[in-house]
Formats: sequence, C-alpha cells, structure tokens
Amino acid sequence: MLDISAWFNDLLAGNTIFTADTLGYYWEGLVTTTQLVFLSLIAGLILAVPLAIMRSSKHKWISLPIYFYTYVFRGTPLLIQLYIIYYGVVFIDGIQDTFLWPVLREAFYPALIAFTLNTAAYTTEIFRGAIKATAQGEIEAARAYGMSQSLMMRRIILPSAFRRALPAYGNEVIFMLHASAIASVVTLMDLTGAARFVYARYYAPFEAFLFVAAIYLCLTFAILFFFRYLEKKLLAHLNS
Amino acid sequence: MIDLQGYGPRLLEGAGVTVQLAVLSLILAIILGLLTASAKMSRSWLLKRTATVYTTLIRGVPDLVLMMLLFFGGQIGVNAISDMLYYNYEIDIYINFNAFAAGVLTIGFIFGAYMGETFRGAFMAVDNGQIEAGKAYGMSSGLVFRRIRFPQMMRHALPGLSNNWMVLLKTTALVSVIGLTDMVRVAAEASRATHEPFTFLIPVAVAYLLIASVSEWIFARLQKRYDIGFGGQ
Amino acid sequence: MAATPTPLEVRNIKKRFGDTEVLKGLSLQAQKGDVITLIGASGSGKSTFLRCMNLLEQPDDGDLIVHGEPIRFKTTKHGREPEDWKQVVQMRAKLSMVFQSFNLWAHMTLLENIIEAPIHVLKKPKKEALEHAHALLDRVGLSARANAYPAQMSGGQQQRGAIARALAMDPEVMLFDEPTSALDPELVGDVLKVMHGLAEEGRTMVVVTHEMSFARDVSSQVIYLHQGLVAEAGPPDQVLGNPQSPRLQQFLAPKY
Repeated sequence: MLDISAWFNDLLAGNTIFTADTLGYYWEGLVTTTQLVFLSLIAGLILAVPLAIMRSSKHKWISLPIYFYTYVFRGTPLLIQLYIIYYGVVFIDGIQDTFLWPVLREAFYPALIAFTLNTAAYTTEIFRGAIKATAQGEIEAARAYGMSQSLMMRRIILPSAFRRALPAYGNEVIFMLHASAIASVVTLMDLTGAARFVYARYYAPFEAFLFVAAIYLCLTFAILFFFRYLEKKLLAHLNS
Repeated sequence: MIDLQGYGPRLLEGAGVTVQLAVLSLILAIILGLLTASAKMSRSWLLKRTATVYTTLIRGVPDLVLMMLLFFGGQIGVNAISDMLYYNYEIDIYINFNAFAAGVLTIGFIFGAYMGETFRGAFMAVDNGQIEAGKAYGMSSGLVFRRIRFPQMMRHALPGLSNNWMVLLKTTALVSVIGLTDMVRVAAEASRATHEPFTFLIPVAVAYLLIASVSEWIFARLQKRYDIGFGGQ
Repeated sequence: MAATPTPLEVRNIKKRFGDTEVLKGLSLQAQKGDVITLIGASGSGKSTFLRCMNLLEQPDDGDLIVHGEPIRFKTTKHGREPEDWKQVVQMRAKLSMVFQSFNLWAHMTLLENIIEAPIHVLKKPKKEALEHAHALLDRVGLSARANAYPAQMSGGQQQRGAIARALAMDPEVMLFDEPTSALDPELVGDVLKVMHGLAEEGRTMVVVTHEMSFARDVSSQVIYLHQGLVAEAGPPDQVLGNPQSPRLQQFLAPKY
C-alpha cells in the first residue's frame, strides 16, 4: 500500500495541479456523481413503469395528469426544477430546527429528488411510446387466449416494450449523467464540482475542465457499450 | 397577481436575454450543423474525421463542463492573446471578453454537433433521383443545393430541428451559472434574497413552457410548408 | 445546307463498377433528327451507357463530344473526372434526360418543375418561360394539371410532365432512360404517343427502351447491347426484322 502511494507521489512530482490532493477531489466527485445518477435512475425507473401504464390508459382522467407531469418536467430546464426543490426545502420555515436539516442541508437529497422526478418524466414517455408500439396482433393473440388485462400487460406488452425502449433509454442514461453536472450549482462536490474547485484554486481552467471532460467521456462510452451489449443480447429476436 | 417584489422588470429583461441567446445560438448551430453534415458526407478523409471527432466529443461531455471550459478557458485565452500582442508587437488593445457572445458561441458550438447529425440524416433521406434530375438539367451544384436539396431536406430535418431547439432552449438556463443574467439567474437571486423561491421560479418555469409552446406552433407551420407536394405523408 | 456539328457523339466508352466491367467500349453518333434506340436484356449496360452520355456516371475511358465540343477529362485519385465542371453543366443544359422514375421535383408544382431550369439555368425571363411552359403543357395534354404536385398525378401524367420539362430546355438531344418501364400498361400508350410526335417533328433522341414496337416504328437506328458491347446495330428492319445472332433472336422471341 505504501509502495503504491510512493509510486503515485513520484508520478505526480513536479506537477503542480494534479497532486494526490486534487485527484482525491476528483475521486470524491466521481463517487458522488455515480451515486446521484445511479440512485436517481433506479428510482426514476421504478416510478416510470406504473406512470407509463397510467399514461397509456384509455381513461382521460388517469392519463391526463400524468401527461401534465411529463409535459412540465420535460418542458422546463432541470436547473429550475433543482432550484425549486432545493430552495423550496431550504426556505421552509423552521426546517433548520428539525432533525431533517442535517440531511437536507447537504443538497444531495434535493438534487436526488429533482433528478429522479426529471428522469422519471422522460422515462415515462419513452415507455409509453414503446407500449403504444406493441403489435396489435400480439394483443389480439393474448386476448384470444383469455388473458386478463393485467396478465397481458405483465406477460406480453411490458416485456416486449422494455426491449423496444432499450436504445432510447440508453440515451436517457447518458443524458442523466451529463445533466447531473448541474449538481455542482447547489454546492455539491460532484465531478464538475471538483473541477470547479480545482479551477478556482489554481486558476487553471484547461487542466481542470479537460480532465473532467475526459472522465465524462469515458463514462459515456462505458454506458454506450453497456447498452449496445444489452441490445445485442435482448434484441436478438428482432434482427433475424 | 403575484407580487414580484420589484423584480418584475429585471425578470423581463432576463427573459429577453434568454430568448436572444437561444435564437442566436440556434442560428449558429444551424450553420455549424450544415457544415458538419457536409463535412461528414464529403470525400475528404480529413474533413470526415474532424467532423466525427467534433460530434463525438461534444456528445460525450456535459454541456455545463464544455461551457465552463470555453468560458473560463476563453477568458484566459483572450488575455493570453492580448498579452502576446502587447509584448511581441507592442499592440495595446483590450479585448473585451463578452459573456453574452461567449454564451452564444458555446451553445452554438455544442448544438452544431447535434444539428450535424440531424442534417446528415435529412440529406441522406432525399431521393437521389431528385438530385440527378437537377444535375441532368444543367444545374450547378450550388443551384441544386439551393433549389432542390435544401428545400427537400428541410422536410426531413424539421422534427429533429424542433427537438434540438427545445433542448437548446432549456440549455440556455446553464449560462446563469456562469454569470450571464438570464431569467433563471434573476429568479435564483430573487429567491435567495426574499426567501420566496416559488414566487420567482414558477413563473420562470411557466415562461419556458410558453416559449416552447409558441415554438411548437411555429415548427408545425414550417413543417406544413415543407411538406407541400408530399401528400402529407 | 450549312454543315452543323453533330449533336452528340460518344466514342469507346468504358465503365467498371468494382471488379465488373459493365461497358467495354461503346460508341454512338446521333445526327440531327436521329432516333436511336438502345435495347438489350437488363444488365446489358444500356442505362449506364445513357447515363454516361450526360456524365451522371463517370466513364473510365472514352470521349464525349456534344455539339462539336469535346468534354475535357483529367485523372485524379478518385479516378477519371471532368476537368471543368462548368463545361459539364453547360453540356447538360443541351441534353435533357427523361428518367424511368420521372424524378419530377416533389416540392414543386408541375408548372414550377417546367420553368425551373429554363429560368435558373438558361436565365430566361419568367414571362417567356411561363408562356413556353403553358404551350408545352397543352401539347402533352396536361394544361389542367399545371398547378398539381407530382404526388397528385398518375405515373403517366408525371412522365408526360417530365417530357414537357425536358422540352422546355430546347434540348439539342433528348435522352430517355426507359421512360415507360415504371408505368402501368394502360398508361404506356399516352407517353409513347407523345414520343412518336417528337420523333416526327425531327427531334434528336436517344432512347433506352423495352418497347419493341416503338423501336421498330420510330427509330432510325437500333443498337442491341449485350454484356457491355454492341452485339448488333443498324436500321430497325435489319436488326429487329432479321436478327443475326441466336441471342438477339431469343431476346426478341417472346415479344413477337
């Protein structure tokens, strides 16, 4: 362990900006970004499935409120949504005296909530499109075999819709990774936050931001390849 | 009516900045997009490579990071250039790093990459026979582009163009982080000062929805215009 | 009569796509008033040959002389190319092509299609172009459809419209690339009738076609292509009436 850090210090010797300290910030930022993106994607996905089913409903009073939700969250900047939730929480009267304050003050949870609601809105529309595109013949076949509405949704429509939605959802994941950069605006030390910190400390914009851009680029490619692999595995039946 | 506590005029001004920034960036992005698409479809290996690297890099890095890189880096770059001019040639000029212009350049540069993809697909969707007919009647390649390729391409490009515009519009919000006083920045400042975030942030959100609705209407009109002759397919 | 330059002459045209040589040295000379029909099985190279005449395809070898003016070529790393594209553009304005799939510009009305090139390429005044266009529309029987878009017209109407568009250029030579092949059988007659009329008024035409009746009745010369070479050529009576090779006999057989 000592050997590695000695080697590391050697490597960084003579480099005034990328010290072990700075790299530590970037590492912390990577962890924060990953947590934020991963957790909000999972939560957004869990929300989006029932919302997409409701959005596909024939009953206006079910589908319309969901449409309103997706319209608002897809039509306004994520930054505004983040501000509304962040400031909305911070400026609640008396919140600073409650046991929740230490958690909420950190901006992680407001950011997580904003990102989750945002990605859930986009994912809902992606799934809705995929559900709508289900072949009429498959639905008729399911009906002909006496499947109930919910059984058909579970066994026939959703499994094929998920597969169809995969490419668009891959884009949404990359979009979320990139969008998460605004977490730094509400004082979170994510990847971009780390870069801003390094920039401010050394006044070295090129080094600070190019380095973080390279990290994002790697993450983007990793996601891209992961989804390509998934598509190849799960969509094999479509490209005979 | 909501009491904007005296922030009304500044919010309106901010909205003006948002709209101007978005429209000018869109124009730049369209020009860059057309250039990128032409480069990608050209026979030159170098042009093709450059265009691919440009679109890949832009699409792999968050808008905000690119913006900070170009903003903060640009400032230093501009200073370096004026220093260099002074020390080497004794030319003493002060180059003003205009934040608004930098914002337009950055957003235009980012969305030029997305537009490039949109236009490339749209150009490829134009039936080759239409182009050949133009050539066969003695049209120069410039004339073929202006009279046939471009008008027919627009029909295919408009859905993507409209989509890119909606994303671009929302991306303008990021300039508030960097120091431009758009409507988001005014609203955030007002929220902090008054401790009434909803009073300012919700009207700004509604303003975005409004701009989006108006543009949707404009794009629908444009689509109708460019669909002429295609039987509403 | 003063000697006028030959409208179109091509010599020894060669063309290959990848490893296959599609044209192995083809020549043709169209004097004023000639109607030359190119026939042959699909894959014989007849359409490619026609497209080489206005350089929609770049021949790998051979000469192209339009109205006495040879087209200059140069060799680049992409292969053989015209030296001066301006010359090509001017040359193309003298030849007008009628395509198998019509290729009327979809975003313009029929009338706009017809006046487009005369105004923007030949720089004719709009008024004159419009007058000419209306006369041509009348001639091909489409006056009523002047303001229709191509998608609103039948295939036969589109092709007659495309012929009007070609005529509007006052072309030296008209090139027809299988003009009736994409049409429903009942629409072929109207188009052929228009083409008959053009031949009668002394238009110079090079026609790739499968319509043997047209080749026999109208053409001054028939050229039978096989695998990128001229297999038989001559007046229609000779080539179609008395085919020499078994191959041409077989080619003509099912239609007689």
